[in-house]
Amino acid sequence: MANYSTSQFKNGLKLMLDGNPCSIINNEIRKPGKGQASNKVKLKDLITGKTLEKTFKSGESVEGADVMELDMQYLYNDGSEWNFMDPNNFDQYAINDNAMDDVRGYLVEQDMCVVTLWNDNPISVTPPNHVMLEVVDTDPGLKGDTAGTGGKPATMNTGVVVQVPLFISIGEKVKVDTRTNEYAGRT
Amino acid sequence: MNMRDALKKRDNFLAQVRQFFSRQGVIEVQTQQLLDTPAADVYIDSIAMQVNKDIEKKSKYLHTSPELEMKKMLVSGSGDIYQICTVFRDNEQGAQNFNEFTMLEYYRLGFDMHQLMDDIVKLLDALEVRGRVSKLSYAQAFFEYSDIDILNTDFEALKVIARKYGLSVDFEWIEDLQIFLFTHLIEPKLKDLPLCFIYDYPAMQSALAKVEGQVAHRFELYMQGVEIANGYDELQEAEAYQQRFGSEINKRTVLGKVSVDMDKDFLSSLKNPLPQCSGVAIGIDRLLSQIH
Repeated sequence: MANYSTSQFKNGLKLMLDGNPCSIINNEIRKPGKGQASNKVKLKDLITGKTLEKTFKSGESVEGADVMELDMQYLYNDGSEWNFMDPNNFDQYAINDNAMDDVRGYLVEQDMCVVTLWNDNPISVTPPNHVMLEVVDTDPGLKGDTAGTGGKPATMNTGVVVQVPLFISIGEKVKVDTRTNEYAGRT
Repeated sequence: MNMRDALKKRDNFLAQVRQFFSRQGVIEVQTQQLLDTPAADVYIDSIAMQVNKDIEKKSKYLHTSPELEMKKMLVSGSGDIYQICTVFRDNEQGAQNFNEFTMLEYYRLGFDMHQLMDDIVKLLDALEVRGRVSKLSYAQAFFEYSDIDILNTDFEALKVIARKYGLSVDFEWIEDLQIFLFTHLIEPKLKDLPLCFIYDYPAMQSALAKVEGQVAHRFELYMQGVEIANGYDELQEAEAYQQRFGSEINKRTVLGKVSVDMDKDFLSSLKNPLPQCSGVAIGIDRLLSQIH
């Protein structure tokens, strides 16, 4: 994999740091009047999800990470692995359950997701911003109530719990924002 | 702020600067901006210009600071002087660095570094830039904010410390690592201080300041963590300047940077030494941007 010099750093660039692929989320350059420039870089470790900060002397180079983001269709979960398909070539990828901690509650079969591959192995999944989920459990609602006056917890068919308006009842499909875990309407 | 208001703010600011100096008998000067010799500083690059293309092909360089030209005036008996000018630097990068910016440079005869710092506080007060003033020596700043004994830690030991902080250690000289550590360990801590002078830099970072023992009589002013000014108790003798320029020029060679010549014209103007004085360069654009 190619090396990248600090002058090529930009948000979204994928680098290898401490053996893990990382993505740049912020790159700040400081040049003192009498000194050399340096880059203070904030990165997200794509394996652990942790944010880290690294500082480089300008001109240093860092090994790039062979990371690709592909649109894939979520197919099914066989109990231990989550299976996705690249619709362009029908290649299938299985992702271990423990890599799915943050997203398993938002995966709906047939939905298109973004799968991140590192050295051709899937390491993370980003679900669509909005998904339609079915309410499988919630307290009975109150008549005449509208959205925006508080709410109640509702358990979805995927297991995730979302705060929904009081008028939502079991069996309804609701739209959920996967970035904030918030109710986003009924259509 | 609309355009007119922004321009009025700047206009008023510069009028206040001129009034402050006028009251103290410091006179405004203007020096050449196109020079025959580029700056020697290893990390300050001059912008080269081709001039007189139709007559004789010749390179000139936009000044990166009016320092040496003003020192020629000082040595010829100018007395206290100041200048407000645009300076030009190549290969600048970062959100607060530009290829051209406005500099206020001034020299006070007979002042030591501490008197000049006091004078800067008065200047800022006249510009209605007020706030608690802190003064920390370079070594104190490192003790206070990082537990590093910066004056007594050698290159290898400093590398070990830098690694511990997850910082790069890929430096040719200890002073570059010191500057790097200052930028990343100390500067962020200065954000909470309205006005903070850092003084007595390690001798290796003397630039053109007098050295006494382990330290150079050089200071910088930080406003909420932003580097605003850089000043020295100025070197006086030609030999001292020659030695400092030589060391910067050698560093440029080691790093494979564009090589520059010694400013012989400046050195020969120092037949008599520079009168004892302290001088400072203040970044006017950065200062203005800190004033609301």
